[in-house]
Amino acid sequence: MDEEDLSPAEMLRLIEEQGAAVARRLQPDPLVMYAPWGVAWLVGFGAFFLSYGLDGRPVVPISWQLALAILFGGQVLAGAFLFWALRASSVQVRGESAQRGMMYGYSWFVGMMAMSLIVGRFAPLLPRDQVGLLYASVSLLVVAILYMAGGAVWREWPMFFIGAWVAAVNAVGTTLGPGWHSLLISLLVGGGFFVAGIVLRRRG
Amino acid sequence: MTVPDLDPVIHAQARLRVVATLNALCEGDQIAFPGLKDLLGMTAGNLSVHLTKLEDAGYVEITKTHKGRTPVTYVALTRRGRLAFEEYTVAIRALLGGDT
Repeated sequence: MDEEDLSPAEMLRLIEEQGAAVARRLQPDPLVMYAPWGVAWLVGFGAFFLSYGLDGRPVVPISWQLALAILFGGQVLAGAFLFWALRASSVQVRGESAQRGMMYGYSWFVGMMAMSLIVGRFAPLLPRDQVGLLYASVSLLVVAILYMAGGAVWREWPMFFIGAWVAAVNAVGTTLGPGWHSLLISLLVGGGFFVAGIVLRRRG
Repeated sequence: MTVPDLDPVIHAQARLRVVATLNALCEGDQIAFPGLKDLLGMTAGNLSVHLTKLEDAGYVEITKTHKGRTPVTYVALTRRGRLAFEEYTVAIRALLGGDT
């Protein structure tokens, strides 16, 4: 190899190409990050919407237990897939960014645990459809805040805006009631995540 | 046009690619040797040779440790290496007549 014979322009191109290649490898695929959750919520909250209906009459007679099982099952699958995909694609890097990722991961765990304890304290005082809405809206608030915080940590504007979008849809849906909340979350958040995954993948 | 002196340690295609790769990591991060090898598409032997040269110049820090019982080698750019790469990029841009 005649290594020393590159022109300055070729050297610069080499530097830029290598930097871009590394960034691509170290950043997780947005399709993998967003689309599985999108599908899980589209289907899971879709099932809740069918079970609640908009005016209190179910669109399709699905029990709330079945809807909950569909939502949970979908989320478990999405989480397992994400974990597997991140494992498979991750380049072994240790140091500050690994610590950042670990702290961020624990934030999800602690946030969701605290959320279920707090909501569990008040749930027995409410009618059943309101209990579902309380769990859904408070957990989506945790999701929204953590996405915005993640956007701040990694300076990823799309992630930040996606979090803000979840917060807005969640807040509006909650004021409208359980049926509307499920419908809006299914289409605008679930569908939105799916679309965001595809758009970000194409752009990246 | 004044031609700035280009850093001879970095001014070899292979080592420039190694330094550019390490520079793309966040400051304070280390990458495992096999991962670096994959990113560069170099053979282990070839990469080792270049890393040694970079380590001798104080541009790269190599940490050998154990994960369980398997030895793992981590590679990172030193502050000096980061600075040298920055200066090198500036020099190249100056050669090309850019204003940065």
